Parts: sequence; structure tokens; C-alpha cells
Amino acid sequence: MIWGWIPANADRILALTLEHLRLSLIPVVAGLLLAVPFGWLANRYRPARAVLIPAAGVLYTIPSLALFVVLPGILGTQILSEVNIVVALTLYTVALLVRIVADALAAVPGTVVASATAMGYRPARRFFDVELPLAVPVLVAGLRVATASTVNLVTVGALIGVGGLGELFTEGFQLNFPTEIVTGVTLVVLLTLVGDALLLGLSRASTPWSRVGGRS
Amino acid sequence: MIEFRGVTKRFPDGTVAVDRLDLSVDAGKITVFVGPSGCGKTTSLRMVNRMIEPSDGVITVDGRDVMATDAAELRRGMGYVIQHAGLFPHRTIRDNVATVPLLLGWTKARARKRAAELMELVGLTPEMARRYPSQLSGGQQQRVGVARALAADPPILLMDEPFSAVDPVVREGLQEELLRLQAELGKTIVFVTHDIDEAIKLGDRVAVFGSGGHLAQYDEPGTLLARPANDFVDGFVGRDRGYRGLGFLPADGLPLGDLPTVAAGATSAQARVAADRGWVLVVDADRRPLGWLPVNGSLPAGDRPLGAGDLVPGESLYDVASGSLRGALDAALSSPSGLGVAVDADGVVIGSVAATDVLDALATAREHEAVA
Repeated sequence: MIWGWIPANADRILALTLEHLRLSLIPVVAGLLLAVPFGWLANRYRPARAVLIPAAGVLYTIPSLALFVVLPGILGTQILSEVNIVVALTLYTVALLVRIVADALAAVPGTVVASATAMGYRPARRFFDVELPLAVPVLVAGLRVATASTVNLVTVGALIGVGGLGELFTEGFQLNFPTEIVTGVTLVVLLTLVGDALLLGLSRASTPWSRVGGRS
Repeated sequence: MIEFRGVTKRFPDGTVAVDRLDLSVDAGKITVFVGPSGCGKTTSLRMVNRMIEPSDGVITVDGRDVMATDAAELRRGMGYVIQHAGLFPHRTIRDNVATVPLLLGWTKARARKRAAELMELVGLTPEMARRYPSQLSGGQQQRVGVARALAADPPILLMDEPFSAVDPVVREGLQEELLRLQAELGKTIVFVTHDIDEAIKLGDRVAVFGSGGHLAQYDEPGTLLARPANDFVDGFVGRDRGYRGLGFLPADGLPLGDLPTVAAGATSAQARVAADRGWVLVVDADRRPLGWLPVNGSLPAGDRPLGAGDLVPGESLYDVASGSLRGALDAALSSPSGLGVAVDADGVVIGSVAATDVLDALATAREHEAVA
């Protein structure tokens, strides 16, 4: 390790970290927003489930690098555009979360949903007031996996020129300069851990009911 | 008033859950739907608030066809209580109770104030307001369920086997509570149960459903016990129905006889003088009964004051104020002397009741019914 390299390149490291954050955050948020309606569909309608769940499974098996390379042809974007990475990682997040959203909604007790209906909830408000909050613990567990996976997949983007901290890997390899690689890896691991901790904290703050001592 | 006219429910698999049901639910009364599982009682209840929609026929609430009313609006005007309460696990007790007021657009402050009133009404302490349902016992959860159903003060309350998942002691308490609430609130209640004893205890009228969704009999509980419409109802009502039916016959006109009494602290000699046919009732200073004393047996000799150990305790008392023939007969049958102890609302002894007089009063009550 050549420690002096880090402060000397602090500006660039910070810029890459911010890029990495952006490239991770947008897909996770967009993926979640898309996965909820798809997951709802898959839970609500059997035929939708029969299509969506296997499709999500297949999507997730496509290698990320292949997707990064193919997407410009489909989207009409520049090969080096950030959009390719964002879209690809969003697709992975959706693929991972659709099944989890569907299962989380299916696990909401039927009697609770029925009693909400009988109280006079209309379906949309019932979904946001009752079903979704009760699905949060399972949903967040899935989101933590998706976040970790996304933060790490961003680095693959470095192979096509847009990879946040992944660029420190590729460059470090080309220059045979381990300090740069170790710095990149450490920061990616840190980002993953921080993201995970934030989600865990958010989940605990929003579900006080799931941790109270039960009597039944 | 809720009215079923020719209501049929056929499920997609062809099962007929309810078959041409005609029935009127009286306003301000408790109507119980009872029957074995699969008889269509729950389906009938759920058609009132459109949780299930009828295949045929019409259900009206105060003359309006429920199918012509917006389902969510309709439901907000009817309280609904289900087995296991169906509370929202992610909401505090207070917010569970405030559900319907909030749906109706009340401010949060007003809804919470109302929730606090209702919690008090159903006997929940204020410190439970911030707890979550999983922190409450089954009986407490069921009280929350009732409070939640009553929160927006709906005229109608639908109760779907609300007490069947709690243990018998708690259930009895909840039943008493419901009757107390109903005396105060006078809601139109439709109550579904598979327990005929619960039906008879709670119902102003009881609808017995037979298999295949047929209404077998719809009557007041006393009539159900006295004159079951057919073998099915007879079998469903169960054993001892003659005796249980006495509970629905008023005891007015039942003659009260004299009762030999002696004050506590009296001596054996005084007790012997007061006794009639070998027995005397010992009463306290306020003339409340303490127990029967047999004067022929091992009564202490001489003038020793009588103690609690000399008494035969434990017979049931006949409370004239809330009395029925069943209470009177049970008092007579359970008394060691053969004379039932009649008391007034304050528990003060006012006379005796004999089993033969109860049977005579029964005969009179039957003649009256035959005339009426």
C-alpha cells in the first residue's frame, strides 16, 4: 500500500464514490417502485404470477456484462452511457424483488385484509394502509439483498467505462497498482455495509409492532 | 331493519350456501343466526355488508337495496366483528379503534378521542391505547374488535362468531358485556354462532339454519325451546330443552309462601321453635340468607349460639326482580329443605317458593300461550 496515493487522489476518489452511489441508488429505488405493482399483480392474479415470476427468474440469470453490452442496441443509447447501467441494474432489482413482494403480500393474514375490507376500506387505500405496511419486514429483507447486489454489480460497469469505484479496479489492474484496487474494494464494501445498516434502521423504525413481546 | 327476500347464494363450484332465504331482522334487537357448519349462516351475514354478493334475491337495509349502495360506504355504516378480532397488527389499539372514523374523514384528534371513549365503554384501560394487538390476550383483543366496530356509532353491528375462539370463562364475560352494551346502545345486531346456548342467551330472536342453506326455524328463544319446528331443530337445540325453556317464562303470579327464619346468633332452642318441618333459614341482620339449618340432626344442645359451621350452604336463590320460572324451580330443587329462597333485588329474603307452585305456574303460562 502506498498511503500517500489516497490523499493525492482524494478528489477523484470522492467523485467516483458519488457516481457509485448514484449508479446504485437510482436502480434500487426505481426497481422497488416497479417491483411493488408487479409483485401486487403476481399476488393478485394467478396468470400474472405464472408469467412474471418465471420471467423475473430468467432475467436474473442473464450475466450483467452481457446486459450492459446488449442494452444500447435495444435502448438506442450510447455504448458508454450511464443509462445502460442504470436500466440494467433496475431490471435486476425488479427481477429480484417481484417474487419477494408477491410472497410478502401473500403472507399478510387473510383475516386482517378481510376485516379491513369490512371496515370500509377501498382496495387502493387498503393496500397502502394495511397490506404494504404489513409486508415491510419481508420486503426490506429482500431490499437489503438487492441493495448489496446492486452496489457490487455497479463495479462491473467499469468494463464498459461507467463503473463508479469499479474504475479503480480496472485501472489498478492495468497499472499493476494494488493500492488503487484495495482502496476501491474497501470503499465498495463500506458502501454496501452502510446501505444495509440504513435499510435495517429504516425497517426497525417503521415496524415497531413487529418487535413487541407477543402474548398469543 | 334488515330484510332478506328470496336470497340465494350459489358459489362458482355449484354449492348452494343459502337457499331462498326470507327473513327480517328487527331494528334495535339481537338476531342470532345459528346452525351447524356449512349451513349458510356466515354467508348470509356477509351478504349484508356485501363481503359476499347474493346470486339471487334482494337484501335491503332500511328499505335500500344493499347492491345499489357503494360497498365501501355501506360497510362504514355497519360495525363488523370477526373471530380472532382481525385487528391490524401494525397499529396501536387506539388507532385500531379509530379506523372507521378516520376512513370517514374525521380529524386524527377527534378520532382518537372517540377511540378513548370506546375503549372505556368496552372495559379497556387507557394504558392499553399505545399497545399493539399482539400484546393483548384473546379476550382483550375481542373487546378491541367490538370497540372498533362501534367507533363510528353505526346503527348496525354484524358479529361473525366473535367469541368462539376464546375460552369458556372469557366467553361468558364477553357475552354479559355484549348484553350490557346492547341494553345501553340498542343496536341492530346480527350475531352468527354455531353454539346454540350462546344463541339462546344472546338472541332476542334466533334463526336456526339447517344444512343446505335452509332456514329451519326463526323464533324467540323461548319458543324455540318450547316448540321446535321439526326434528332437526329439536336435535340441534339439544337436551334439557324443556328445563332451559323455563328460563324464558316469566314468573309473575308465582305465589310466595312463608319461610321459617331465625337471626344469626340465635340459640338452638330459638331455632327449634322457628323451624318448620325440620328446617330453618338463618339470616343476617339485614335479612339476607346465610344458610339452612337442620334442627333434627346434630343440632348443638342447650343454648349455644349457632355458628356458620352448623349451616348447610350453597343453594341457589330465586331473585324475584329478574326472575324466571327456571330460577324459581332451581331455587326450590337446590334447597335442602325443599323450599326455594326468594330474594329481592337487594338480596333480602322475601318468601319461599315451592317446586309444585312452579309447575302450576308453568301450566298457567302454557294456557296463556295457547290462548294467545
